[in-house]
Amino acid sequence: MDIVVCVKRVPLTQEVDLEITPEGREIKKDSLVYVMNDWDNYAVEEAVLLQEKFGGSVTAVTIGDEEDEEVLRRALAMGADRAIRIEPGERQLDSFVVSRILAQVIREIPHDIVLTGVQADDDNCGMVGIMLAEHLHLAHAAVVTGMEPENGEAEIKMELEGGIDEISRIKLPAVLSIQTGINEPRYVSIMGIRKARKKELKVVDLGDLNIPEEDLAPRTVVEEFFLPPETAGAEFIEGDATFVAEKILEIIKEKGGTG
Amino acid sequence: MSIMHPALDSYFGVPGYVFAWLLCVSSVSLFSYIISRRIGPLRMSQRDPRFSQLGERLWGLLLFGIFQKRQPRYPAAGIIHIMIFSGFVVLGLRSIELVAQSLNLPVLDPLMRGPFGAYYGGVKDFFELIVLAACIWAILRRAVVKPERYAGSHASEAYLVLSLIASLMITDILYEGTVVLLKESAPGWLPGAGLAAFMLHASGPSALQTISQTSYWLHLVIFFSFLNVLPLSKHFHIITALPNVFFRKLTKGSIKPASWGVEDLEDLESIGVGKIEDFTWKHTLDFYTCTECGRCSDNCPAYAVGRPLSPKMMTIKLRDQIYGAFPLFKSGKTISQGEDQPLVGTIIGKEEIWSCTTCGACEEECPVFIEYIDKIIDMRRHLIETAESPKTFNQVLMQFEKTGNPFGKPAAKRANWLNETDAGPVKVLQEGDEVDVLYFVDSYGSYDPKVQEIAAAIAKGLQLAGVDFGILGPLERDSGHQVRRMGEEGLFQLLVEENMETLKSIRFKKIITTDPHAFNTLKKDYPTAFQVSHYAPFVQSLMENGRLKPVRKLDREEVYTYHDPCYLGRHNGVYDPPRMILRSLPGVNLVEMARSRDRSFCCGGGDVILWHEIEQENMRMAEKRIQMAREAGAQVIVTACPFCLIHFEDAIKTMGLEQEIRVVDLMVLTLSTL
Amino acid sequence: MGEILVLVEHRNGALRDITHEMLNKADALSRARSHTVTAVVIGGKELSFLDHVTERADEVLLFEDDRLSHFSADLSADILAGLIEERRPFLTLMAHSSWGMNLAPALAVKIGYPLATDAVDILVDQDRPMVIRQVYSGKMFCRVSFQESQGYLITVRSGVFPPHRAGERRGDLIRRDMPAGIPESRTQFVEFVDTAAGEVDIAQAQLLVSVGRGIGEEENVPVMQELADLMGGVLSCSRPVVDKNWLPKFRQVGTSGKSVKPKVYLAFGISGAFQHVAGISGAGTVIAVNKDRKAPIFRAADYGVVDDLFNVAAALKEKLKH
Repeated sequence: MDIVVCVKRVPLTQEVDLEITPEGREIKKDSLVYVMNDWDNYAVEEAVLLQEKFGGSVTAVTIGDEEDEEVLRRALAMGADRAIRIEPGERQLDSFVVSRILAQVIREIPHDIVLTGVQADDDNCGMVGIMLAEHLHLAHAAVVTGMEPENGEAEIKMELEGGIDEISRIKLPAVLSIQTGINEPRYVSIMGIRKARKKELKVVDLGDLNIPEEDLAPRTVVEEFFLPPETAGAEFIEGDATFVAEKILEIIKEKGGTG
Repeated sequence: MSIMHPALDSYFGVPGYVFAWLLCVSSVSLFSYIISRRIGPLRMSQRDPRFSQLGERLWGLLLFGIFQKRQPRYPAAGIIHIMIFSGFVVLGLRSIELVAQSLNLPVLDPLMRGPFGAYYGGVKDFFELIVLAACIWAILRRAVVKPERYAGSHASEAYLVLSLIASLMITDILYEGTVVLLKESAPGWLPGAGLAAFMLHASGPSALQTISQTSYWLHLVIFFSFLNVLPLSKHFHIITALPNVFFRKLTKGSIKPASWGVEDLEDLESIGVGKIEDFTWKHTLDFYTCTECGRCSDNCPAYAVGRPLSPKMMTIKLRDQIYGAFPLFKSGKTISQGEDQPLVGTIIGKEEIWSCTTCGACEEECPVFIEYIDKIIDMRRHLIETAESPKTFNQVLMQFEKTGNPFGKPAAKRANWLNETDAGPVKVLQEGDEVDVLYFVDSYGSYDPKVQEIAAAIAKGLQLAGVDFGILGPLERDSGHQVRRMGEEGLFQLLVEENMETLKSIRFKKIITTDPHAFNTLKKDYPTAFQVSHYAPFVQSLMENGRLKPVRKLDREEVYTYHDPCYLGRHNGVYDPPRMILRSLPGVNLVEMARSRDRSFCCGGGDVILWHEIEQENMRMAEKRIQMAREAGAQVIVTACPFCLIHFEDAIKTMGLEQEIRVVDLMVLTLSTL
Repeated sequence: MGEILVLVEHRNGALRDITHEMLNKADALSRARSHTVTAVVIGGKELSFLDHVTERADEVLLFEDDRLSHFSADLSADILAGLIEERRPFLTLMAHSSWGMNLAPALAVKIGYPLATDAVDILVDQDRPMVIRQVYSGKMFCRVSFQESQGYLITVRSGVFPPHRAGERRGDLIRRDMPAGIPESRTQFVEFVDTAAGEVDIAQAQLLVSVGRGIGEEENVPVMQELADLMGGVLSCSRPVVDKNWLPKFRQVGTSGKSVKPKVYLAFGISGAFQHVAGISGAGTVIAVNKDRKAPIFRAADYGVVDDLFNVAAALKEKLKH
């Protein structure tokens, strides 16, 4: 079984106070540290588990510069057999362009299952995986929390809202976007990552892929970033219990805490 | 009446010494064979440099090996063992004499016939009685008192060997006694022989002769059998203990490198112990040397709270594994089962490995200096490399790597505690700066609000004393103490590299730390010899020099007790400075807990427990320790380690004892009196 | 004049709330720019909600077919692609739900329209729409514009736009046939599974009702479990509760428990110890209820209530039961 998994290197932002650059179209990245996108971690683990069960190979792919090879090494350390980095140069990328580029590369290599994460920790778009499927004309499913391949098909579990899962059968080859929690990604130690240097990591230049220029034009553009309104500690809700309860329920609704 | 020496007497026409020779040669051959099989695993094990500092090693051999310094930590057992051991030392000469005579090569006779012999005769006799008494006492103790720490040990072996030793004493006493009676003389004072003579004085000459010869030959047979029982039982320690003590680990608190002599981890095929041959030869020798006395487990805090770790049982299991993998009567070497089945997960449980807090109580007790911590860390290293470590570690280790602290908080905010607490003016050092004292705050002091208070107190104390100090702030990465002890050696090396680069760029005279863990690792695990100290001895010296004067009386009239943190006390021998500080605080009423100083009971630890809990435990170590503090009558427990503080606070809350006892950090307390 | 197409999301014969929200937003947008609102209903049998939809759209297109008895991204994409080619709507709105995430990106590539997802607001500026969306896990907002196109696709986040708006339109219900020659769906529905029952993973929950020592005793746990159930959330807790064995370990939040990232985290009687707060750093909104105004949890929370947690819990239950 030939599995391809797409990974992305994203900044670690949970504890950080993000700042916007003076032009307003990017965040300040100089003091940020980078990790593999959380969803992709699960996808790589799933790919490796499939390979351990069914044999075959796992290829990890990313689009980025030399620093982005870090996440490929991590995928290799987790068990991927080879990795491909596509060097985009100075290109502006959006989900459409990314998926188009990935399709061009993946088309040329054997692929029974293509895995991506549901979304990326930075842009939270959730588009690349399924767009990629369409470029490749493959069956697809999103927010997958379980899969069992068998005879050219896979029984998959998709997480829906409100605690409901949908079980379906999908034809292979297919593209699946993987949800967190599907497995428990294995730890890779520092030494493990260093040892992964022995595995194949190929670099492909975007220019060599012969993608028509119009397919490389971003379909969406971020015009500006802005911070959510300031809160200094908790905003206290004063009043009797009934009033407070009402307010709480409103907040929950607003913040999407319901299914 | 002259009697024939049994060796010269004839039995069925064959001189006694022929039988003696047969016995001796066959026994020694068997013994040599067994020893050669036992050497096999040692040669398969990994290297371990133990030949440095010969002077210190010899001194240790004398102190701990010959003078048995650790034995009396358990008074009854200690005395028994000293009796038997000293008996063995003294009786060595007697054994040589007896064997030499039996082989008709009486080389010691000239010595023994002279004044030395007379003197020695009495001494040896006396010691034989001592040893016999000790054996009887030991047997009774096992059978009647049944000390808990012997549970799981091979009792039958113990009884067998005690019986064999007792028999050796009895047979020699009887032999000597009969010789005295038959020769009708009593050359000098022979209490043992005298006693036997007294008991047998009514027997006739032929009976005496029989008893004499039977005792004599029985003694030799038992002697040579005993020789071969040794390497087959826990009494192998009789041979291996002194070497084991000689080769002991001289640097308490440090952790061995992944592989001795290998600088670059990348050169190693694998890291850590996955199969039995991955241990070093000294560790293998440790397995041989275990006497199953149980003192380690008896003091192990993990064992005390019901965790699945018993250091003694770990050693016994691993010894059985080695003996099983290299059996005596198969030719060549049998490949250990470790090829397909890793050691941990089969004979040794994973939770067993994670239960250890590296407190060092086991190593402190062991009379033969068996090491545990390095072995456990080596097994953890293998678990980490094979992704068998608890999943809760993944996030924490990633955060250590990326942000230099376990919380994932940005490195840039590492000095923010200066603004969030009332620490006063503190210099944040840059590369190229020069300062007297470098205060290494470490991660908890920098980011955890409770521990930030301690850091602030230390900073204020240093300011009051007029010390020229600074902190590294964003340049500081975690010291790596926890990371190394969790088994992520590669990550530890990375942190060391990063810190070393910073430390090399700053000129300072000494480093002081907030917590004992950072102190321990900077001192023992880092590749350079900085002057490092925990804050307590430094503060104590400031008080001694009058730069800090505790003048204000402590608020309330309370009973205080001091808890020795494992990494300040046991691993580094710093017991007195904190106590000296406490005693100098006006109005303090200090009591000692029953288990204090090197017998202090671990609070739960400053590493694994923070991110992985052992389900099996029936109580938290901290709760047990709080009970001990209360038993000592204390209302305040003073700690010099932030992790101890955190665990004790949690325990007090869970136990609902907020009104009865509270915990306070040493520096915070001290500051309130300045 | 333009058209706003809204794909109605429904499951098991009932409309999902997001549909109301999208129709409301479409309505607001259409008023500003005289667009028409067309609702598209794909599949399902015996749909009782159609009246509700016709009251909120100018036209309702209903595709009914045996092949459409369960949602299929393939078939929906083909149907919508055909519809969009036919009508060239200005905007097409879909839910940013699991189904929507499976459908919208494929549709975007299929018909060559630009797509922006998970919109928390939609603006139109000189005939071009713009989307406001969150990035960096909610820490930042951004305004996204599209490459110029005949039409634009947007998926909409749940719970952002207000749902209830009295139906004022009177749309016609038009039954449509499936386009001819549509390929078979490559995915076949098997069944739904309700995961709320049984052992639960708090790290996956969107709403957590979390309790601390403040609940006082084990007997009060079921009281809070009931609240969690009513709210459609999952019960979790802080360390002391597990230490006392009031709740099992898998419900523990914190450094030695689990890290959680719900959209809303309700902390009842939790003091806010550092080790606990570290476990909720990924939470969207934290609402804390504690008797002590000085409790550290209020530094980590977005909203705070200083009151007896049982008063608040009881009041919440009252509201939810009605």
